[in-house]
Amino acid sequence: MQLPSTLLENAVAQFSKLPGIGKKTALRLVLHLLKQDVNEVKFFGETISKMRSEIKFCNRCHNISDGDICSTCSNSMRNQNLICVVENIRDVIAIENTQQFNGTYHVLGGIISPLDGIGPDQLNIETLIQRIQKEETQEIIFALNPNIQGDTTIYYIQKKIAPFHCKVTTIARGIAFGGELEYADEMTLARSLTNRLPVQQYVQ
Amino acid sequence: MLTLQSIILTQFRNYVTKQFSFTEKIVGIYGSNGTGKTNLLDAIYYLSFTKSYFARTDAQNVHHGLSGLRIEGHYEIMNEEADLICILRENNKKEFNINGEAYKKFSEHIGNYPCVMIAPDDVALISGNSEERRKFIDTILSQIDTKYLRTLIDYTKLLQQRNSFLKQATEQGFCDDTLLNILSEQLSEKGDFIFNERKKFIQHFIPLTIQYYQTISGNQDHITVHYESQLQQSEMKQLLAQSKHKDLQVQRTNVGIHKDDLLFQLNNAVFKNEASQGQRKSLLFALKMAEWRTLKKNKGFAPILLLDDVFEKLDEKRMFNLLHWVCKEDDAQVFITDTHQKRLADTLQTIGVKHQLIHLEDK
Repeated sequence: MQLPSTLLENAVAQFSKLPGIGKKTALRLVLHLLKQDVNEVKFFGETISKMRSEIKFCNRCHNISDGDICSTCSNSMRNQNLICVVENIRDVIAIENTQQFNGTYHVLGGIISPLDGIGPDQLNIETLIQRIQKEETQEIIFALNPNIQGDTTIYYIQKKIAPFHCKVTTIARGIAFGGELEYADEMTLARSLTNRLPVQQYVQ
Repeated sequence: MLTLQSIILTQFRNYVTKQFSFTEKIVGIYGSNGTGKTNLLDAIYYLSFTKSYFARTDAQNVHHGLSGLRIEGHYEIMNEEADLICILRENNKKEFNINGEAYKKFSEHIGNYPCVMIAPDDVALISGNSEERRKFIDTILSQIDTKYLRTLIDYTKLLQQRNSFLKQATEQGFCDDTLLNILSEQLSEKGDFIFNERKKFIQHFIPLTIQYYQTISGNQDHITVHYESQLQQSEMKQLLAQSKHKDLQVQRTNVGIHKDDLLFQLNNAVFKNEASQGQRKSLLFALKMAEWRTLKKNKGFAPILLLDDVFEKLDEKRMFNLLHWVCKEDDAQVFITDTHQKRLADTLQTIGVKHQLIHLEDK
């Protein structure tokens, strides 16, 4: 793409590094900013760089935080003896949106996959183990994606925390809400039948 | 019952546009070399498997100098009519429609309109390495059992994970035993399942193969088939534990169902060293016929049988035994190609079945 200014070109190049943004969209965004007031764009830029440089990760659960300890971990209204283990921060947001969970989180930052060069050392697993030992956690809930690497990660952590008296659970797998049975894949349906629920629990 | 009633080829291989109607269950196709006999069979195969039998890219299936192709087949399956249309667009995007509805996943289609191709050039199944034979077994089992296919995919993924772990462990000079054990356990669970399924399958498959071999060859050779697997000795978990040291040394998994093989023997010697060309072809045909038979039993109807150039490869007696059996004793739709009109017509005449002959002319 031929652009009349190198400044413009640099800005477009930066925008097109973002996920889902191509050259054309990047140009559109840059031209939009160009139409804005100088101060406004300055504020826009500062907000972003401030976000990146000042944001912190909670020392306890690795969730994003404004201080050393995040708002979930410092909230005495939440059950601090319950840990929900998730892959990334997006999963924390998804679970928080359900408004059903009143415990704390632990963000692994990924899942074990040697093929992608990710071993237990690259993840926040050691801190989780120390945390369970130190805090005498009562229960940890694995909320990881239902695939092979997710299972590997669960088994690994389970082995590591076996010496501590901590209940280990995982989120249920089954038929989605609003889903039609005939469209559910066989494996999900089969699993839902094996792990069926008493109706009293189901209605709640 | 599965019958292909007509097929329309557009820009497929050497066909620009051509329609064929099949009126009888036995279809003989003759014509000189290069008139498109094999291509016609391949088009039928294509409609069953959404790809060519020969390892060609889709672009190579398009008529030279044109872009895009279309294969349309009109079937009758269990007394209902079905239209299968495969379109390769100019931009190389492939669409597969059944009765006007597009498939989301092509894998859903495979196995629904089964067919078996016998092309004598694929003796690699017998003389090639063990991978060919595992692929052969896996293709059959995947068509009849979706759980097998899913487990096999999982196994392959886990094997890759374990192998990369072994590699990293060596490079870093440190092995996380907990993780290795977990990967081994996960792999063993899948491996044991696949082993048991293969074992069950082969128990039925071997007698069938031998029976077919004897039918085709006229019962002279003493032939045996063995399923070779390290898992015959002990469970995969134990094998992995024993092999751990070696695995770490060579940085890959040395035991498991990915080492399985079928061992063919002729008069107690290794088949591929002992057998003549004709005997190899007979065994190949026997394996393919056993595949066809197994699919038929599991699907409840006979898969379409595609016999490419079989006259060239078997002697008259063997050929007759095979065709006689296929045409007379089973109700399958059979497509046979040959270069000689007379030989094809005479053979079908001698067998005494109703048949249709299609002549492909030089362009």
